[in-house]
Amino acid sequence: MTKRYVLVHDENKCIGCQACNVACRSENNVPESVTRIQVRIEGPHGNFPNLHFKYNRVSCEQCENAPCVKVCPTGAAYVADDGIVSINEKKCVGCLYCVAACPYKVRFINPDTKVPDKCDFCKKTRLARGESPACVSVCPTDALCFGDANDPQSEVSQLLDTKTNYQQKANLGTQPRVYRIPSRKGGIKA
Amino acid sequence: MKLDRRTFIKGAGASTAGCMLASLPGSIAALGAGPVSGSAKHVASICEMCSTRCPISARVVNGQNVSILGNDKAKSYGGAVCARGGAGHSLLYDKQRIVKPLKRVGERGEGKWQEIDWQEAYETIAKNLNRIKQQHGAESVAFSSKSGSLSNHFFHLAKAFGSPNTFTHATTCPGGYVVAAKAMFGSKAKRDLGNSKYIINFGHNLYEGINMTETRGLMKAQSDKGAKLVVFEPRFSIVADKADEWYAIKPGTDIAVALSICHVLIRDNLYDREFVEQYVEGFDDFAKEVEAYTPQWAEAICDVPAEDIRRITHELAAAAPHAVVDFGHRATFTTEEFELRRALFAANVLIGNIERKGGLYFGKKAKNYNKFAGEMAAPVLAKPGVKNLPKIEAKRIDMVDEQYALIWSSGGIYQSILTAALEAQPYQLRAWVMSRTNPMQTMTDRAKVVEALKAMEFVVACDVYISESAAYADIILPESTYLERDEEIADKSGKNPAYYVRQQVVDTIGDTKPSWLIWQELGHQLGLSQYFPWENMQTLQLFQVDKDAALLSKIKQDGWVSFGKPLMLREPSMVKAFTAQYPNAKPVDADGTYASQLSFKTPSGKIELSSSKVEKMAPGRGVIKYREVTMKKADELFFIQGKVAVHTNSATHNVPMLANLMSNNGVWIHPVTAGHLKITSGDKVRIYNDTGSEEGHALVTPGIRPDTVFAYMGFGSKNKELSRATGRGVHCGNLLPHVISPVTGMNLHTTGVKIAKL
Ligand code: SF4
Ligand code: SF4
Ligand code: SF4
Repeated sequence: MTKRYVLVHDENKCIGCQACNVACRSENNVPESVTRIQVRIEGPHGNFPNLHFKYNRVSCEQCENAPCVKVCPTGAAYVADDGIVSINEKKCVGCLYCVAACPYKVRFINPDTKVPDKCDFCKKTRLARGESPACVSVCPTDALCFGDANDPQSEVSQLLDTKTNYQQKANLGTQPRVYRIPSRKGGIKA
Repeated sequence: MKLDRRTFIKGAGASTAGCMLASLPGSIAALGAGPVSGSAKHVASICEMCSTRCPISARVVNGQNVSILGNDKAKSYGGAVCARGGAGHSLLYDKQRIVKPLKRVGERGEGKWQEIDWQEAYETIAKNLNRIKQQHGAESVAFSSKSGSLSNHFFHLAKAFGSPNTFTHATTCPGGYVVAAKAMFGSKAKRDLGNSKYIINFGHNLYEGINMTETRGLMKAQSDKGAKLVVFEPRFSIVADKADEWYAIKPGTDIAVALSICHVLIRDNLYDREFVEQYVEGFDDFAKEVEAYTPQWAEAICDVPAEDIRRITHELAAAAPHAVVDFGHRATFTTEEFELRRALFAANVLIGNIERKGGLYFGKKAKNYNKFAGEMAAPVLAKPGVKNLPKIEAKRIDMVDEQYALIWSSGGIYQSILTAALEAQPYQLRAWVMSRTNPMQTMTDRAKVVEALKAMEFVVACDVYISESAAYADIILPESTYLERDEEIADKSGKNPAYYVRQQVVDTIGDTKPSWLIWQELGHQLGLSQYFPWENMQTLQLFQVDKDAALLSKIKQDGWVSFGKPLMLREPSMVKAFTAQYPNAKPVDADGTYASQLSFKTPSGKIELSSSKVEKMAPGRGVIKYREVTMKKADELFFIQGKVAVHTNSATHNVPMLANLMSNNGVWIHPVTAGHLKITSGDKVRIYNDTGSEEGHALVTPGIRPDTVFAYMGFGSKNKELSRATGRGVHCGNLLPHVISPVTGMNLHTTGVKIAKL
């Protein structure tokens, strides 16, 4: 595994506009009733007038230590050479262990294919064509950054080196490869 | 279900919004449509999901889907597209889309339709319109349209037919700042947010009402350049959240803060004296007027601390000229719209940010740009004019009061249709032809709009859905969506000239036609063929580029072509780069700029801070002035609205993908106010006043002032044809009174309401 694809969501720059959600649906043919990604605008938290929203990206975290892969009895949920947590539809027996095991609740059964589905960094669609993930390329405010964290020159590496960031539920030891830059209350930090 | 703001974005497992009206005549559901076919390769085109019209790049994927992305050739758009733009295909093959002409068979508005063919539609329209023209004159037919490319051919038809009564949605949305800019500068102004170091914003909600370049510019200024953003807004919007400072200003009092900023700039001698001396007319009168508008005075009116207004003004001046006071967009907060927008422009003029980076500037179209370059730096597009159009003697229905003269040429006062239809003032309107416009949502006093439509002898609507307004038509003409049609080359010049073009990506679905063709064919049927000499879009495009096939193919290939370097006349670095590029460029001033070339199309040739022309048009309004307004009764709450990122004003609420993201608008209400009324989040509430009454549900949140309630606009449609939108949420226009603001002709977006738990 030479590449370590990661995604950085800058909550400072995110405006919760759902362009990512829509682009992902079109690019990956995600049925209307389910979703690979949404950005939830949570809040406002705090007391008037000291309020703030949280822009919470909800999508597969691409865990380095993935519970969904560990519980899969057939190897249908697996980590590919590129490090991306992937799904082999042919091997899936529909036991739903992976859906239950995901602590982030981001796996769903695709009503069309009847197989578990989730964000795969657009691996089969855009990455295969050498393009960046759909959500990343459409984001109006450039809140998303995608790339190889093994390459110290990459934009993601630079970002992670220079900006405060966190991973969701890091205490579970899942080691998510989705990193978040927390928003600063009262304005955007340069 | 826990109701907070996040539940408007539905989670996994939510069912598809809306039920299907499988039998809606003329719809894709009724007629069926084959697989989507079209270009498998990316085609550069122009979005039409909102009025910003971003450059896009789209292609058909496996005959199933259309992928719509931004066009990265257009740098300031960054290849980005918003949720509405990305969902364009969801409208394209929505089962409820109308793809066959329809005629009304029941009562008007009853919802009984019958499919007909185009010839029958044209004949029926021509017969009725020509009869009305013969009996009452062509002026008794009103033509209203979404502005931009859609209105050009449509208004051409109106002119050929002989009616002066053409209207755009300007007075229901952006007209206020356009009229203010025309009064002061003689033309529209643009803002250079991306290069600004200090931005003051009065609720221009760019992070929800997305305008791609401006939204990106604001984010760029904030995140890359560390610009400071100060927001005055009664609601905690996304733009308020991203601000360094947010003030929950009392609704409708923005003008007091704006005038007070001007007061401090002048009194504390922070204004750009040299700039004012050289470019400004009427400064003394203005300075005298604002003497009274101290920060203490403003504080008492708007709940913003005087000390903060003073400090913010000093910070603004320190960052000048690379600083801007945003002049806003759709928001007639009060009837004093004209004064508010002028006061905002005045603050910009005082800090001398005109034609400076991060300030205000004027569009540089090819003709003007070439003059500066001393060569043909950019091709000039030809305008196809048709000679000998009939001379129209009749006056427009809104030409009764000269104070509105500035809006007549920019689309007129849309609401004057109501008075003309219902009270025959200044004369009786008898027919209404609408093209992609939805006054039922965007005008105020919905009941009156219904009455006006019912009073008409004949109504035609050209649309993609049976919109709330189209539901009252006699004939509905199904238009091809923007993904199915070609159009003329459009000018999108900013700091330098730029062109782009809309191109067909998908083969036409059903029996629809592009609107330019519809109006041309109707023109023939009306016996006006001589005014439609062009054959098709290709002929028109070639005419525009003066037969330069290479240029045309480049514009089509890239989808976005810009020329030269960005130019702001008073910005030394830009002028330097410009003159380096063009050896024959006009000579620069001693200070290395084109400052002396800056001129204004006003009577004085200067920026008119006070205007005798306006004084003549509207006595008492020559000088910008504060007037008290009453927005609500003492026992009412303020009612305000705004835009949301996943919908466009009045147009997208039935688009499946977008309806699925958000199909309802909760009524924002502060916890303290809600407590008094015993309302909790999710409760059904009635919200009402003298104009109307609406039912919705409450969203209790600290993100709103205790004396104010808020709802996103465009929801709560009332005709059964829009089944995903109908009956969902509150309909804002049903609560807003029909009032026309002085000079701008704007309708009103703030009023008082009461709320009761149901
Ligand atoms: S597109 Fe970008 S700004 Fe919009 S919700 Fe997604 S991440 Fe946030
Ligand atoms: S977030 Fe869930 S689905 Fe994604 S890798 Fe982790 S456990 Fe698996
Ligand atoms: S990376 Fe691709 S699959 Fe994952 S959320 Fe973004 S668009 Fe969807």
